[in-house]
Amino acid sequence: MDILRRLRGANNEGVLAAVIIVVAIAMALASPAFFTPSTFFGLVRSSLVPLIFALGVLLVMISGGIDVSFPAIAIFAAYTTVQWSSQASFDPTLVGIFAIAIVIGALWGLVNGVVIARFRLPTLIVTLGTQGIIKGILLTYIGSAYISAAKLPPSISDAGDAHLVDIPGAGYLHGMLIPVVIVVVAVWWMLKHTTFGRSIFAIGGDIEAARRVGIKVVRTQILLYVLVGALAAFGGVISVILGKNANPQSLVGTELDIIAAVVLGGASIFGGRGSVFGTVLGVVLVQLINNNLVLIGIPSTWQRAAVGALLIIGVSIQALAALRDRRKPVLLEEEVSRA
Amino acid sequence: MSDLGSNGLRTANSRLDGAVRSVIDRVHLQRGAGRMVILLVVTFLLFAALNPRVFLNPVNLQNIMVGAPEIGLISLAMMIAMLTGGIDLSVVAIANMAAITVSSLYTLVAATSGPETAEAMSGLIILAGIAMGALLGAVNGVLVSVVGVTPILTTLGTMQLFNGLALVWTGGVTISGAPTVLTTIGKTTLIGIPVLFLVLIVAAIVLALVIDRTPIGRKVQLQGANPAAARYSGISARSTLMLTYTVSGLLGALAGLVFLARNPSASADYGSSYVLLAIVIAVLGGTNPNGGFATVLGVVLATLTLQVVSSGFTAMRLSAYEYAIAQGVLLIAVMVFDQINFRRRRRSPLPAPPASSETVAIATERRRKDTGE
Repeated sequence: MDILRRLRGANNEGVLAAVIIVVAIAMALASPAFFTPSTFFGLVRSSLVPLIFALGVLLVMISGGIDVSFPAIAIFAAYTTVQWSSQASFDPTLVGIFAIAIVIGALWGLVNGVVIARFRLPTLIVTLGTQGIIKGILLTYIGSAYISAAKLPPSISDAGDAHLVDIPGAGYLHGMLIPVVIVVVAVWWMLKHTTFGRSIFAIGGDIEAARRVGIKVVRTQILLYVLVGALAAFGGVISVILGKNANPQSLVGTELDIIAAVVLGGASIFGGRGSVFGTVLGVVLVQLINNNLVLIGIPSTWQRAAVGALLIIGVSIQALAALRDRRKPVLLEEEVSRA
Repeated sequence: MSDLGSNGLRTANSRLDGAVRSVIDRVHLQRGAGRMVILLVVTFLLFAALNPRVFLNPVNLQNIMVGAPEIGLISLAMMIAMLTGGIDLSVVAIANMAAITVSSLYTLVAATSGPETAEAMSGLIILAGIAMGALLGAVNGVLVSVVGVTPILTTLGTMQLFNGLALVWTGGVTISGAPTVLTTIGKTTLIGIPVLFLVLIVAAIVLALVIDRTPIGRKVQLQGANPAAARYSGISARSTLMLTYTVSGLLGALAGLVFLARNPSASADYGSSYVLLAIVIAVLGGTNPNGGFATVLGVVLATLTLQVVSSGFTAMRLSAYEYAIAQGVLLIAVMVFDQINFRRRRRSPLPAPPASSETVAIATERRRKDTGE
């Protein structure tokens, strides 16, 4: 019983991992083309950007909020940086581009954070507003032109062609995997082992209790949104690198899909619960379905419906389990294991 | 003993009713409608003064009225879900499903039994579209009320599912064809007022009457204002929420019919920006995202205001992106303004008169407890 519970994980990560394995086996049985390096490399490549965005969504969700402005921040930061670099014909190297974009993203995050924390407004509504403002400013005052691969700064195009593993005829493993893995591990470590990380959980669990134990709620929240803005900008630059173009109209509109993946990964929309591992699994599952449904003979038009159905089933099972828990007498052991 | 209990329950009930009523009345006057009237008049006068030749042109005014109904109906659907403390992210997907149902049934009948038969059956076909909306709304209702999934998660999932099914149904392309009845309605005006606009007004009046004047409406309001109090008042959360999301789906279907009336084609991804816009409109119109307070009038006025701003921006040759900035600034400014106002009211030593009845009710409740009555 105890082993089972540990396998299941605090946020049902085990269940999700099992679902992924079942889906992968089903796909492999249905199509011999599934178990090839190219499928795997494609899956990794298409998961990179959603994964970074999902981490930002996860952090906000753990703190009890919902952020829909991250795609706007991401493309704003990445596009502004790339456009400036290509117009000034100055290449600040890959590190420089990341740094500039991250500062821009962090500044937008600061705007979100100040409005949300100072005025205690609902996060969904505020980020909805800032999303419009950010996208509007980008397209009105900065630029609406598509920047093609030829006009990208050389360091970006070079990074776009950097492959970790290259199997001729069977695809490649993209080099951006390394920075993404580093960020994923860093966020996991921060959530697990720093005061700041634990404070985010505390605020999401009970904001008033967090205040009473001495957590500076306003400061933590502002810092959180700055961090999430920076993460979004990081994801934005990676999407420009992978896509080999900068399109100011891209990314916006994907926010609800990312939120769906994070929810699938076991994070609670009420805050206080969620894990990096679960989020990774949620993103991988969604991308697995999006990429490979065609392989098992289901037309690609079914992708959205399949992800939607999966999400509904996932949250329904959670809700029914919560309903059953409420009917059972309170068990101390259960409380302990959950904490 | 039981007599005393039911008596106590009744007084508690009436007190609760009074408190809720006073809160609603106050909000009615102060938050949604009153403020939106001012905003609407100010924005209208502003654009009329800035560019009277284009903005006050009858064609432009008619365009405002033709553009308002679809987003207005979607915002009303959003509002009613928010009134119970929920949200309906799937409403645009439902509208598209309804439009696709009508459009594809119409073309199917026209192809198999001739266009005349299709026209003759258009009443039935339109009803099928409305039934589709109600059905999908009921799916949301079951998930929220029976299964117990949070509204935002339910509708996030069903939004994907309904949208996905619409993609499968249409194969991802725009399908065309709509009953002539609908397209005629889309073109007709009554004394200069587009019939579509009248559809919005009639729907809004019916919804307002249901919310404000019927026991069902009271239940919906109380469910959002205080679910625990609603439960203790003997209101079934299950049936209230079921009804709310079904009505939300119905309004979505109506919006889908308006899509078809304006343009006889349907697709899975029409109006994808409407979900967030509808939330903006609902909140601007004084809807409390946490539930309990909303006014139909406020939402209709907010819809018109945003339409006025949108067409005013066009008249001023400003882009859709500048309109997006204006939307965002307006939304955040209104929320911040409300919050500052609310804090000031709370800090002021003398309670504002409208708040007193509620305070008194709580105070008497405490006194009753203290004296052991």
